Amino acid sequence: MANKRDTVFLGQACKVSGHAISSTLVEVPEEKRIELPVFEETQMGIATGMALEGLVPITMYPRFDFFILACNQLVNHLDKIRDMSKGEMTPRVIIRVAVGAKNPIDAGPQHTQNHVEAFRKMLTEVEVVELDEPEDIFRTFKEAYERSDSKSTLIIEHGEFYGTK
Amino acid sequence: MNIPKHLKKVRDVTITPQELIDFETKVKKTYEAGKIKGPIHLAKNNEEHLIEIFQYVDQDDWVFVPWRNHYHALLHGVDPEKLFDSIVEGRSMGTNNLNPNFYASSIVGGIIPLALGVAMGIKYRGEDKRVWCFVGDMTMETGVFHEAYKYSKNFDLPIQWVVEDNEMSVHTPTDMAWGKRQEVPEGVIYYKYEMEYPHHGTGKWVNF
Repeated sequence: MANKRDTVFLGQACKVSGHAISSTLVEVPEEKRIELPVFEETQMGIATGMALEGLVPITMYPRFDFFILACNQLVNHLDKIRDMSKGEMTPRVIIRVAVGAKNPIDAGPQHTQNHVEAFRKMLTEVEVVELDEPEDIFRTFKEAYERSDSKSTLIIEHGEFYGTK
Repeated sequence: MNIPKHLKKVRDVTITPQELIDFETKVKKTYEAGKIKGPIHLAKNNEEHLIEIFQYVDQDDWVFVPWRNHYHALLHGVDPEKLFDSIVEGRSMGTNNLNPNFYASSIVGGIIPLALGVAMGIKYRGEDKRVWCFVGDMTMETGVFHEAYKYSKNFDLPIQWVVEDNEMSVHTPTDMAWGKRQEVPEGVIYYKYEMEYPHHGTGKWVNF
């Protein structure tokens, strides 16, 4: 995906090292990585807006706990925009959200929540995929990028697996 | 009006103020006849302001507007018949389409991050067009406006903010809701007008 002309990578610590997801971006050209402030809701809207301009943003949130702050833009806009435009607008966004690890240290109640089932219930258009096994990674991202229905995909990753699987 | 000097007139607006008023009057009558199955938010008294502004809006530009958006849609080139049919379907708050690029939302401040993202996309791709983001005086007071405005200034994004001040935060006077107003930030187009219609509806038929 780093070599695709229309992809762009957004989030905190995507140009600098910082969290588990950061370590997966080292081969992405620097000009494709946009370092953003901590403003989760605005970050989600930025990704949707860039997708409306024809790009495929991969927008990253290092903790599910933080991603909750992006709910308005995800649920009220990205998830509804196809309906609200009678199918004319089909922004395709790939959202990466990490569930914080509890081992070898427990990051506590505000850094380790996993709300994947709640988001499955809230979302009607955006597909939710939880990554449990390493062999699913490439297939999941390939499908998210190439999907013929041009829908967006929310990919849940587990920070703990980065060190154990 | 305080149109920034770097903006140039790019469009000959042919729609007259009376044509805008007539459109809204038609919507009003249709709504009061019970033929519109969704909320409507009617505009009036800002026809001249918007006609002036839209002389600077290119047909390829993106326009983002809140729920009171019929005038903006007409001025940006949305087909009046298509717009009216959409309103009758109950889509007054979200008549969204491409060509012309027009997005309306009924969530306070919801258009702001989207508008910012489109502006970032335009700059990233090196395109020669602009985003116009219209917000009310209520929304100008919110945090999302301030962080997006700041970001757009700091990164020199192709976005023009417009504040339409009707002194209301939905049903509440903005002065009452916030106590004191912020100053309009530098480079933001600002105009003030007096509401003629209620926040939603016409005062007749239905409240929800």
